[in-house]
Amino acid sequence: MTKKDIQILLVEDNKSDAMLTIRALKKHNLANNLIHLIDGAQALDFIFGKGDFEGRDIENKPKVIFLDLKMPKVSGLEVLKIIKKDERTKLIPVVMMTSSKEESDIVESHKLGVNSYVVKPVDFDNFSKIIAELGFYWLVVNNPPNL
Amino acid sequence: MGKRNNSDELVIANKKLIFEDKEKQKRAAELAIANKELIFQTKEKQKRAAELVIANKELVFQTKEKKKRADELLIANKELVFQNEEKEKRALELIIANKEIAYQTELAKHAAELEAVNKELESFTYSVSHDLRAPLRAINGFTKVFLEDYRAQFDEDAKEILEEIIVNSKKMGELIDNLLEFSHVGKKHVSMVIIDMQELISCVIKELKQQDPHRTISFDIKKLHNIKGDKNMMKQVFINLLSNAVKYTSKIPRACIEIGSSNSNGFCTYYVKDNGAGFDMRYYDKLFGVFQRLHSSNEFEGTGVGLAIIQKIISKHNGKVWAQGKVDEGACFYISMPNIKQ
Repeated sequence: MTKKDIQILLVEDNKSDAMLTIRALKKHNLANNLIHLIDGAQALDFIFGKGDFEGRDIENKPKVIFLDLKMPKVSGLEVLKIIKKDERTKLIPVVMMTSSKEESDIVESHKLGVNSYVVKPVDFDNFSKIIAELGFYWLVVNNPPNL
Repeated sequence: MGKRNNSDELVIANKKLIFEDKEKQKRAAELAIANKELIFQTKEKQKRAAELVIANKELVFQTKEKKKRADELLIANKELVFQNEEKEKRALELIIANKEIAYQTELAKHAAELEAVNKELESFTYSVSHDLRAPLRAINGFTKVFLEDYRAQFDEDAKEILEEIIVNSKKMGELIDNLLEFSHVGKKHVSMVIIDMQELISCVIKELKQQDPHRTISFDIKKLHNIKGDKNMMKQVFINLLSNAVKYTSKIPRACIEIGSSNSNGFCTYYVKDNGAGFDMRYYDKLFGVFQRLHSSNEFEGTGVGLAIIQKIISKHNGKVWAQGKVDEGACFYISMPNIKQ
């Protein structure tokens, strides 16, 4: 664990998507202090300092969470629901990343208070561009409240 | 002597009288007995007569009772016949009701089956949208990464092969997107508003010009009647129609696209006419089919979903779509739907 502030928490079970996401962020120098976790259960343990992450300073909050919607064990929607319900974590921006354009997912995510909902394009140029824009926006442009 | 005779005669007469008297007494006694007997018999007869009168009365009463009972039975019988008829009628009604219930049950079963199929289809669509796009993204992405990171080590041939992988994975992504779009059109709810067609068409043309600024196309816009429909859907219809016209005129020097409309018989008919590649009317029945194309993708790009989407949208608006075309002379597409007064 780095002692530096965590910038991005990437929760993504698909190895390829994770590699491509990290590559796109790195290319734009946005992948410093990025943490990659591979499912929702791990993400919740990390965020709330439980399980494998027992004792982690939970005040060290990521500037943004890139959350994949469809994951084994605990889905992105469930993680989102828990984060947005908890006073300690509800202000952390969450970007839902998904392959799906399904209306129900979009509506449900917004109802749960997602900050962005992004459909990952198949074309890597577009994918890379969107990831870079998201990273840039949440890490550089956006002014967060004091978390 | 005479006296003796007389006296004898008298004795005899006396005796005779006595005898006669006795006889008479006997007769009287007999008569008295007979009389008594007669009296008795008369009394008996009177008694019997009285009994007969009573018996007669009883019979009359019984006859009346029987008649009354018969009448009652007749009424009861009629009642039974009526009840029987009612029961038969009721039975018939019950049979009909039963059939109706059976039919309803069948319908409910059918509806449940349809719902299950629909759910399955939805989860299939969901899976397609989620699970098929992810590996494609990896193929497309890593091929690009490969090409980017090792470009110096590839000769032209190798680069071309990698470019083909990239182009095809992208194409498959588009196919999946279009398929999803097509399936979503069917599920969408139509919200009817009056659409300013002047505005809609000029907006679509502006977008198309921006996508391909190098093309010079002459747009001939005739009278555009306003229509009633779902604005987003109708915009999709005209994006598809006009982008087709733009695409299929891309190989001729002077592209002309004409748009117009007319109102008649309660219907508003729009047409989009171009002087492009056209199509062979022999294959007309394939024109509006999903993933059906009348041109190869080497000639003109496309996935074959655009016209299918148009048809689906227009049928949701209770309208019709048809077309006319001739190879190398252009095509004209028509859509017709109930006008705003309907």
